[in-house]
Amino acid sequence: MNIEQLLLAVLTYGCLYSVMTVSLNLQYARGGMINFGTVAYFAAGAYAYAIFTQEPPSGLDQYAFGFNSPWWVGFIAAGVAAFLFAIVTGWPTLRLRGEYLALTTFAFAEVLHSIFLNERRIGNGSVGLSNVNRPDFSWIGMSDNYGFAGAAILLLMFTAFLCHRILASPYGRAIDAVRDDETAAEAVGKDIKRLRFEIFVISAVPVGFAGALYAMITTLVSPGLFTAEVTFFVWIALILGGEHTIKGAIFGTLALILFEEVVRSFNFETVRSAEIAASVEHIMTGIIFIMILRWQPFDRFTKKEAVQ
Amino acid sequence: MKNVKKRSMLLNAALMSTALASGTLSASAQEVTVGVLVPLTGELGEFGKIVANAIQLGVAEINAAGGTSCGDIRTVIADTGGSPETGIREASKMIESEGAVAVLGPTSGVMVALVDLAKRSKTVIMSPYAGTITLNELGGDYVYRTVSSDLGDGAASGLWLKDQGYESVAFLVQNEESTISPAQVARTTLEDAGIELTDFVVYNPGQPSYQAELISVLSHEPDAIYLAGGQESGVTVIKEATAGGFEGEWLFTADLAVPEIFDAAGADLLNGRAYVEFADADNSLDEYKAFEALHIEKAGGEPGPFAANSFDMINLIALSLEASGQCSGEGINSVIRNVADGEFAVSTFADGKAAVAAGEDINYEGASGPLVFDESGTVAGAYTIQAAEGGEWVNTKFYPASSFE
Repeated sequence: MNIEQLLLAVLTYGCLYSVMTVSLNLQYARGGMINFGTVAYFAAGAYAYAIFTQEPPSGLDQYAFGFNSPWWVGFIAAGVAAFLFAIVTGWPTLRLRGEYLALTTFAFAEVLHSIFLNERRIGNGSVGLSNVNRPDFSWIGMSDNYGFAGAAILLLMFTAFLCHRILASPYGRAIDAVRDDETAAEAVGKDIKRLRFEIFVISAVPVGFAGALYAMITTLVSPGLFTAEVTFFVWIALILGGEHTIKGAIFGTLALILFEEVVRSFNFETVRSAEIAASVEHIMTGIIFIMILRWQPFDRFTKKEAVQ
Repeated sequence: MKNVKKRSMLLNAALMSTALASGTLSASAQEVTVGVLVPLTGELGEFGKIVANAIQLGVAEINAAGGTSCGDIRTVIADTGGSPETGIREASKMIESEGAVAVLGPTSGVMVALVDLAKRSKTVIMSPYAGTITLNELGGDYVYRTVSSDLGDGAASGLWLKDQGYESVAFLVQNEESTISPAQVARTTLEDAGIELTDFVVYNPGQPSYQAELISVLSHEPDAIYLAGGQESGVTVIKEATAGGFEGEWLFTADLAVPEIFDAAGADLLNGRAYVEFADADNSLDEYKAFEALHIEKAGGEPGPFAANSFDMINLIALSLEASGQCSGEGINSVIRNVADGEFAVSTFADGKAAVAAGEDINYEGASGPLVFDESGTVAGAYTIQAAEGGEWVNTKFYPASSFE
């Protein structure tokens, strides 16, 4: 087991997914909105980044647009795409509550997935956009692995800071008030619809940025990468870490990624052992979920922090 | 006294661990690591196992012949489950933690995702079944495959449908690049031959039923259905089409070329009326016969689809290590084309090793056929058609690469 490699993978993917968990925490634990379509904003960001940075189509390509822009233009476009998609999906759905909102956001994510899969002029359909451009970190003397781990940490810090500032402000208390009792909040003059809509849209932007970073790391954007599994992963991480606190959301995600990486860090030199390990990983994941949900160690830790 | 004993025990323990550590280091210094990155779980899990086992068979033969000049080959095996993200994470670990000089066995989606990593880390990646047309443009430098492009599968399917003399054919194609690209080539062949194309339906997998897609197809009563789909969707389509009254013949693509299909769909629905097309080795070659005999002897059965292509991959890597004199991906990449297309023909690692030592410019003739890489790092393909008979796939027709010139 190479500890350095393991830590880099945990930091890169852990921080990347934590951006989504922290955003979901803002929407769900603080805003009271159940969003089962998180992956859609992630995908919108990744596709926007790839389309803006991709070279114009040639040869066997079926996509219609490739703007060959620098990576930072694609990165900004990713945030804008997630922002716009949140406006389009948030406007009609946020009047709904509870499981109705959950189902509608899930449906929107499936619609977007289906569009990416079937409309080949956007992103080559099921083939996807490959060899996606990525920034070069060599000019600061850093390898790609360290560069992307650093970028993921910075993006998570930005997201956590943004969420912390929002929630610590009077605006954040208004959001809490809307979640706790909409009627009471409305009675004291809070515009519930606007508050819910704003928080929904604001929290989608970092997810779009995370999508761009994901596209840079994988250098591939295809519908197969953006399935409901991503949404469920983020939800599981949030529940594992304990809702309501930013630290809980981050700890839950890092713990989940750490577990995956530790299991994968063992080397298998026979086909049979690799096959058994692949099956055991799923069983072990299930058992650990049950254990964590039973004792909720991260939840207790974050509550203790909150009390202090 | 006790303290002295304790100290001496500690010293002994330290010396022993140092000796063990140095032993491990000297052992690892005589090994060269190759990553095997295959889907052991998921829809393509059956193929992944065939590929990984064939590579292991090749490694055993190479090590039995004295190993490479870099030492014995050691494999590190990981499951991708078909996911590109997992593929990148596992391949990074293999290259950066384990020092793998090559990563063998990824499927199409994973191969495409690994192109950038392969070039950046100067590590060869090679697949025995990634036919994706995306690699027609991206492959060639550090990226190779011992199978032809999917476009060749389409040409072979089209040729078979034409040879069968069908008057009308319907196409049912899963919405994936690896199925749509060959289907489009097969469609062109049929149109050129004047065969009626009753439907060209692209469907999304993962549905509980495909009745909606089948309504139009069955209403036109085609002589045959070309089904390019995965195992999960394919089984449902076969059952529902038969229940809907389809009495014609089937031509399946490679994903259904597994014996499990007879249990899953029911042998009665397939026997005598189903065929499957896949890229295959030329069974008439002496190299293939030798490999087949070896497989039967060591693995205890006939080689499965892509087994010969997988066996060839590891031999090419080992011979390239030998020919380059370097124990790195860069060394392999610099000579692999010459090793596959030199002047002195060899068909085993042992012969190749001896020829390299004698200063010969070797040409590895593989079990899957003559391996000559084109610009995109792809070899020319040969294809087999098998028929469903008595609950198993039986060879019916072989199209050598020359059939498509």
